[in-house]
Formats: sequence, C-alpha cells, structure tokens
Amino acid sequence: MHDAKVVEVRNLAKRFGESVALDNISFRIGEREIFGLIGPNGAGKTTTLRVLATLLLPTSGYVRVLGYDVVSEAEKVRPLISYLAEDAGAYRNLSGYEYLSIVAKIYFGSKVDAESAVEEAVETSGLGDRIMGKMKTYSKGMKRRIQVARALMTKPELAILDEPTAGLDVFHAQHVRGIVKRHVAEGGAVVLSSHNMLEVEHLCSKLAFIHRGQIMVEGGPQIIKDEYGASNLEEAFLEVIGKWES
Amino acid sequence: MGKLKPLVEKEVKDLLRDPRIYIGLIVPIIMLPLLGFAMSVAMRSTAEAAVMEMNIAVLDQDGTETSRGFISILTHMGLNMPNVSADSLDRALEEARTLESKALLIIPEGFEENLLGFGRVRIEVYSIVERAGLGSMGAYSAIDGALGTSSEILSATLISKIAPGLEPDVIRNPLNVTRYTIIKDRVIEVPPQALLGQLVIGYGIMVPMVLFILAITVTQIAATATAVENEEKTLETLLTFPVTRYDILMAKLLGSSIVAILGGILFTVGFLLYFEGLFAMPGLEVGAGSVFQALPPPPLGTYVVLSLSLILSILFITSLGVVVGALSSDVRMSSSLLGILIIPILIPSMLIMYGDLKVLPFALQILAYALPTSYPMIMAKEMITSTIPAEVFYGILYSAALTLAVVYATSKLLAPEKLLTLQYRLRFRRIKRKQAKDLE
Repeated sequence: MHDAKVVEVRNLAKRFGESVALDNISFRIGEREIFGLIGPNGAGKTTTLRVLATLLLPTSGYVRVLGYDVVSEAEKVRPLISYLAEDAGAYRNLSGYEYLSIVAKIYFGSKVDAESAVEEAVETSGLGDRIMGKMKTYSKGMKRRIQVARALMTKPELAILDEPTAGLDVFHAQHVRGIVKRHVAEGGAVVLSSHNMLEVEHLCSKLAFIHRGQIMVEGGPQIIKDEYGASNLEEAFLEVIGKWES
Repeated sequence: MGKLKPLVEKEVKDLLRDPRIYIGLIVPIIMLPLLGFAMSVAMRSTAEAAVMEMNIAVLDQDGTETSRGFISILTHMGLNMPNVSADSLDRALEEARTLESKALLIIPEGFEENLLGFGRVRIEVYSIVERAGLGSMGAYSAIDGALGTSSEILSATLISKIAPGLEPDVIRNPLNVTRYTIIKDRVIEVPPQALLGQLVIGYGIMVPMVLFILAITVTQIAATATAVENEEKTLETLLTFPVTRYDILMAKLLGSSIVAILGGILFTVGFLLYFEGLFAMPGLEVGAGSVFQALPPPPLGTYVVLSLSLILSILFITSLGVVVGALSSDVRMSSSLLGILIIPILIPSMLIMYGDLKVLPFALQILAYALPTSYPMIMAKEMITSTIPAEVFYGILYSAALTLAVVYATSKLLAPEKLLTLQYRLRFRRIKRKQAKDLE
C-alpha cells in the first residue's frame, strides 16, 4: 500500500564536493496536488527533482516517494513516476511514434495497453501526421511536446516535470498546462519547476520559493500573496528574496 | 527479457539509421571491391600495354643465320625487335633509348660457333627502366619468359640433333616429382608451401583480420551509441525508466554487437570481393580456396571454442566502448578517447596475425594474453591443425571473469551521480592541460 503522501522530503541535503546544492530542505506533496518549485537559476530546483527521480543520491536526509525510499527502493519508485528533464533530448533517428511505442512497451505488460497508451500520447502531443517523421526533423517545441506526452503517457502517480513549457509558444504552453491539469484530475500528482510565475500561479495548488538550496516560503499561491501583501507571485517572490538577502 | 527487447529495438533502429554508423558499415562493401577491381584493371592494363608495346633493341654482333634464327624465334613470340648497329655499348644503349626500347639484347660474336659446338653461349640483356610500376615489372618478366622459352627451343633442337627420337624434356628433367602433403590425415596432391600459404592467409591472417575489424567496429559503435545519449541528453530520461542499469547496459551491448556483426559480415563480403577483383589478374589465379575444399572442415569443438571466445571478447570490448561513451560528453570526445583505447588492442592483434606469440618477449606475451580479444585470434590460427590450445581454455575462463567484472563495473557506472562526477573531472583535466599549454 502506498502512503497517502505522494512525496515526503525531510532535511534533504545535497553537496557536490565543496558546493552545497541543497541545504536541509523539507516539503510534502499530497495526492492530486500540483507542487511548484520556483527559484532563480542555480537555486536547487533541478537537483531536487533529480533526487525525486532517483537520478541523484541525497548526501543526507529523508526522501520518500509514494512511500518508498528513493535510495534503497529506487527500483520500486521508478515504475510509479515519470521524469521530464529540462533539456531532455530526442532520439534523432526514431520517429515520435516509434519512441512512444518503445517507452510504452517498457512500461506496459500488455500489448493492448501499450497500444492504447501510444494512441492517447499521439493525441496529447498534437503532432498529427508529423508523429511518423524522424525526431531530428522536429522543432524544439515539437520535441518538448513529444516528451510531455511521453512523460504523462504512462499515467504516473507522480510526474516530475522540470520546466515543462520551456521553449513552447503561448498556444502550446497552454496546451501542455491543460494536459498537466487533466493528469491531476485523473488522480495523479505533479511536481514541477518553472521560471514562469504566471504559469505557476494558475497551475499549482502549492508551491515553494527556493533560493541558494533553501526553501524560503511554502504554501498555496493565494496564501503566499496575502502573506506578503503582493498582487502577484512575482512581487511576492522578489519580496521574499529581498528580505532573505538583507 | 520483456523490457530488454524494446531497449535493444531502440538501439538497433537508432544506430542503423545514424549516418555516422551506416556510412561506416556500407563503405567497405562498396569501396573494397572497387579498390580490388581498380587495382586489377590498373595492373592488367599497364602490364598489357607494356607487353604490347614491347620493343627490344637487338645488337647482333654475330650476324649469322643462327643468330638471325634466334631473333626470329623472339619475334614470333610477339616481341618487336628493331636492330641497332652501333660500335660501342653506350651508343647502342643511346639508340635503344631513342627507339623507346625496354631493353637492349646483345648477341656477341661466336654465338653460332659456340651453339653448334655444344658450348654455352653468352648473351647480354640491358634492361632500361624509365618508369616504376607493377606493369613495368610484368614487361621485364615477359622478356625473361621469352628468353627462357627460346632457350628451351634451342636446347630441344640441339638434343634432337644428338639423339634423334628422344624426348628432349626427359633428358632435361629426368625426375618426375609429384608432391603430396598429409594434413589432418588426408593426402592432398599439392606441395606443402602452397598448402600452408593458403591456410596461413585464410586462418592466420584473414580470420584474425575480420575479428580485429569486428572488435574495432563494435567498440566504436558502442562508444558512439552511448556518447550520443549524452550529447542528445537522452541518457538521463532513460535512467529513470523502470528498467535496471544492467538492462540498459545489456541493450547497449546487444544492440552494438548486432550492428557490428552486420558490419563484420559486410566487411568480410567486401574483403572477399576485393580479393576476387584482385585475383582476376592473369597469373594470380592460384585457385584460392581449392585447398580449403580439399581439406575436411575444422571439427565442431574448435568452432564452439572460437564462438565462445569471440562472444566474450565482443562483450568485453563493447563494455569498454560503453564506458568510453558514457564518460564522453559528446561523440567527438568519445572518438578521441577511443583512439587511446584501440592502440593496446591493435598491437597484440598484429603480433598474433603476423608472428608467433610464444617466441615474443615476455612483456608482449603478457600484453597479448591479458586481452580477451587475443583468444579468438589465437584459436582461429590454431584451426589449421584442428587443435584447441591449452592457453585458449584458460583464456576463456580468464576472459569470462574479466568480462563479468567489466560488465558489472560498467553497469555501476551508468548512474548520473557517477557519470556527472567523472565527466566533470575529465573536462576539468582537459581545461587545466589547455591552460598549462597556453601559459607555456
């Protein structure tokens, strides 16, 4: 049985040699929640997501995803999550359809389930006939859409999305946000990072401001705005960082 | 196996469609036969042109009917023999050069007298070399051939004069030697030199060369396949899939091996076609392969041992390729690192192909026996005598242990934590080296 908490992070620290990437951060993500990590470049967002995705090992701390430890039970975590890296590339010589089919074969035991997941992902990507073309012919936005479709195709209990709308135009970013919302409505949870405050404000049910490896503030978007008397998240973010720096 | 299959499918499809890979696979099957054909055509046409235009100037100082008869024999053999009439060698050579002759033939005074007196006659041939090349070599051989044949004709004429009714060839060569060679309990009607020549070329050089090319190709493909994952930023995503690191590594090893074996087949076909083209040269049709047909094939056991040692060495070398690729941030870097890795593999392979390991200095023997890639080559050479050398048995056990250790270490390396650290260190060292160079 899975824990009711999808993610539980307590005092997570990550060091790369002398450099401290994460300094004892703690947060929780519940079911059907979209949790946003907001912070400037180098704040520790990607490192946090990589630890949750079982890619990096914590230096210290307690990290559980769906009740499983990300270090000692990484192999139980992986089938339940999916990870979209910020700069995730594509296999240049495979078509989008072939790529989705291969991933589906890895995740699904039955051929019928795999085929139905691929059909849904093709629809989600919105690539139409171009799905049969080699991915080296895709634009940056098309590659991102296929990766988002791939990440959500497997119906993960936790989708870890690093800058999911990076490089997408307004229409496609809106399309991806819709897919993320639908995923949560269907019962999944999402943790994402973003530089786009407007996107986070409208998409996330809970968020955390992260700066220099530490979580400054955590809560719902409205609560944070109210707490700092800000009209939008950007103002609240600058207020929080300004206070911390001073 | 369920999750390994789609991963292998991804590897094979991605590799076979990558121009960096498929061009390398296709080139030998197109280029090698073309090369063989081009070499054959060039050599044949040069030789034909040289023989067709064969001009041999002749200075007949004897001026007798017999000397004129001798010149006539040579003319009937297709040689063009213009006469020169100089009073010194230098002037005769100058005239021969003016006539664009390949050689100057001097028939000295007393030619007829000596010949009819059953004495040995002396003639002089001055070959004039204007161009270097295989074709010219053919022309000079043709002169020797013509002189040899005319000498036999003269000899036959003299023998018939002394002993009419006797076969001149019997007088000249009273021994009729038929050469047999016994190998693998089979008697074959060929001299041992011819037999060994073909066997050494076949098992001793051709097979090890194909194995060597296979080893290089498989390493290159595995390194490229893994480096591309780094370059295109797909490895990170792959490592979050619900598959073990071992599955990912096995998919890389199998995918690269399948493509490399295909490359090996194409190379072998290309190489055989190259020889087909080359052996189309007149005089080179030595019946290549006839010895192999006459011999029984090596026993099944030798093939089993060869296959086993080959599989182990391919796994070993592919794992090294994956390590090189994984440590490289891009394909260019993996190619540079691969160059360093290939040299220690290349040297023992060459030693095995062209020499006898047992007589080599101890350090070189250690180097050869330390590499699993050496054992299939040693086995291929020993297939001539159908024996399985003891060192190959021990070598297989050793290779299996070493390969398992390398595969295990490689699967452990396939973790972003370690890869990022190692890639960072490699890049840092390169930057430091560059800075030190700039300071100098």
